[in-house]
Amino acid sequence: MFDLLTLGAPLFFTWQAVLLTAAGIVAGLFIGVLPGLGPLMGIVLMLPVAFHLPPIPAMGMLIAIYVGGSAGGSISAILLRIPGTPLAAATLFDGYPMAQKGRAQDAIGLSITSSAIGGLIGGLVLLFCSPLLAAFALRFGPPEYAAMALLGLLTIAVVSEGSTLKGLIAGGFGLALATMGTDEFTNAYRFTFGNFNLTSGPHIVPVVVGLFALSEVFFQIESGNFLASPNIQKLRVSFRALRLLAAHKVNLVRSALIGTLMGAIPGAGGDVSAFISYAVARRMARPGERYGEGAEGGVVATEAANNGCCGGALIPSLSLGIPGDASTAVLLAALFLLGFFPGPELFRYNADIAGGIFIAYLMGNIVLLVMGIVLVPFFGAVLKVPKAWLLPAVLLLSTMGTYALQNSVFDLWVMLVFGAIGYLLRRASYPLAPIIIGMILGPVLENNFRRSMLISRDGLNIFIERPISATILGLVAIMLVYAVFTILRGHLRHASVVNSE
Amino acid sequence: MKMLNKVAAAAFGLAMLGGPAIAEFPERNIQIMYPWAPGATMAASQVIADAMGQKLGVNISVVSTPGAGGVKAFETALAAPADGYTLFDGYVAPLVLQPMQGNADWSYTDFTPLWSATSNAFAIAVRADEDRFADVTALLDHAAANPGDLRYSPGSAGALPHMVAAKVMQTTGAVAQLVPYPEIDNAVRDLRGGILDFIVINPGVYNINKDDVKILSVLSTLDRSSETYGGAPLIGAAGIDMGMSNLSPMGWDWWLVHKETPADVVATLQAAMGEVVNDPTVQKKLLDMGYVPTLFSPDQYQEIVGPVAKELQGGIDAISWEKEKLDAL
Repeated sequence: MFDLLTLGAPLFFTWQAVLLTAAGIVAGLFIGVLPGLGPLMGIVLMLPVAFHLPPIPAMGMLIAIYVGGSAGGSISAILLRIPGTPLAAATLFDGYPMAQKGRAQDAIGLSITSSAIGGLIGGLVLLFCSPLLAAFALRFGPPEYAAMALLGLLTIAVVSEGSTLKGLIAGGFGLALATMGTDEFTNAYRFTFGNFNLTSGPHIVPVVVGLFALSEVFFQIESGNFLASPNIQKLRVSFRALRLLAAHKVNLVRSALIGTLMGAIPGAGGDVSAFISYAVARRMARPGERYGEGAEGGVVATEAANNGCCGGALIPSLSLGIPGDASTAVLLAALFLLGFFPGPELFRYNADIAGGIFIAYLMGNIVLLVMGIVLVPFFGAVLKVPKAWLLPAVLLLSTMGTYALQNSVFDLWVMLVFGAIGYLLRRASYPLAPIIIGMILGPVLENNFRRSMLISRDGLNIFIERPISATILGLVAIMLVYAVFTILRGHLRHASVVNSE
Repeated sequence: MKMLNKVAAAAFGLAMLGGPAIAEFPERNIQIMYPWAPGATMAASQVIADAMGQKLGVNISVVSTPGAGGVKAFETALAAPADGYTLFDGYVAPLVLQPMQGNADWSYTDFTPLWSATSNAFAIAVRADEDRFADVTALLDHAAANPGDLRYSPGSAGALPHMVAAKVMQTTGAVAQLVPYPEIDNAVRDLRGGILDFIVINPGVYNINKDDVKILSVLSTLDRSSETYGGAPLIGAAGIDMGMSNLSPMGWDWWLVHKETPADVVATLQAAMGEVVNDPTVQKKLLDMGYVPTLFSPDQYQEIVGPVAKELQGGIDAISWEKEKLDAL
């Protein structure tokens, strides 16, 4: 564990890596503050820049945006009752009432400090667990990877917001997209329509930018109010929150650990972890704390969880190459573009890179603690930026970022098409994250399944003859039963409502 | 004041006109399209790119663009302007092999060479503690007597290591189940785990897995290839003539640019790359990784690349032979 840090330190402690990590935190915070944008969009927009940097400054910057963006969403939730990101949806339960009582300063301070310390706790778990999981995963072969990919796909489909069936359909759509390109086993082209740009399938970045950034721009345009600028309370720099936080030590550590655990389950994500830890904190609260009416503990629980979740989500991403959520899926794509395969081999062959990433994550959270407090007065100013300025800027950054990636006009078309698809799917209440996870895990599932069948001397039995693969498939079966049960229960409930009407 | 304005305008106009002519290549970062997934071989290209970038005063990024047996990287680079800012990492597969197989419509003569980069021989490797096969003859005999019993991986299907291995197996009548992986780096894990019986490795991957694998035979006719595998025997030592010699059974790359790239830009790039590949420090770095600098200058391009195509046809036929045998199992 400490070997990794020693190896990674020389790569991280360069002016470029440290400055970019700090800049990433600031950029992430501001992107998170703006309603509708979030860490994922921040990562995507900076990906083309990262691509031309050395690996650790690049990953440091992107991970810092992930960390900062996950924390920033709480500020608009507290001040405006609009969560900047879905991750902060649970923060408004107590954050907004605190602001209404004139304690916006305290609520923001608590949310930033809880995020940073929650993130640090997640980072320590990441540091401890990733090498262990990676060492264990050295025993994984194609059957285990195929089973893990199946589990990840099912989890995100089941846990993502909205109906399970729609989650499964979105995941299936992602899998279908993943079949485009060159077949790894026969070199045959599949669904490339004679276009060389599709010989590796559509690039993940224009797809993500289209689905998330462009569809959000379309939604915001539709909702109007282009020049509206909200009234924001005056905020100032104060370190009082650190003292307030001391009264919530147990809640902080518990919530951070819940967040980390939920993050480590592929697909579970930060928003789910924030709601769960909020529910736990509320149940365990002292009677006088009055959750829902401006309890400090409520803000601490949600924010520690959703940033602890970042560390958690990086665990399966780095040690198995299986992303924890859509943001880590794009971080993995970035790591690959920078020339490194995530998975056990990363720890074996590029331990310095893995160590550098860990340090970047830990340092990012420390920078968050300081910058988050120092920059508080500016957050209000950012929230006042009207949409008429913000939306063209997002559109411009999305277009520039996508084009710069491969200097490809084709990628811009892909972005536009997926923007339209994302908009239509969101209107029909389909979750978008399973599409990305499907695209990333599709090749892992397909190629390892086919590889397993070539290796097997006994057909499909290879999946149950190997204990690890059998165990993972057991979990898949439980997940499937749960998914079917949820879908059926939804139908029964719908039928009973129709009958009673 | 008016006069001053006129002078300023004239100076500005001259600066604008003179700008493109005065500006020296390179003014911005350069990229080289690498046709495979990231791995040990990409690191060799990175060594040359870093050193060349330092000479030119810009960053040269190696961009992994895997897909379609290397064709994707070439197509991507061909779509970029012929301005010297996008280079081709011209590996034998996309440069010679894919056009031969009808998967690409260019010929090696459609590019301007900078310098040749490195070459690397392939080798048959088994687990370090493998005790079933004392040498390559024992392995191939077993595969001939028990067709399809052994599982092997040459990395990606249809690429050069696959071709060379198939040729050796065709020559000896050996048949093993092919299991493709995107890069041979990924297959090492499954060799270690006992899932695969043997792999066709390259020196870069061998170097970082020395403790886990044992080389049975180096698939080359050149003595220096043996050195990159710690002195392991060449395939000829087992009395096997694989019908491919010199550079033909080896992985190699030339760095190339568009044919239409301006001559002064080509000259700048050729001079920088020439200095870099002839630099003893760079050479040592590459050799330590298992990659031998080939040191062919741009004017040797035709005579070196031209003859390779003929010998590769034997490898393509061997893959067809292997497919027939495996389909019949």
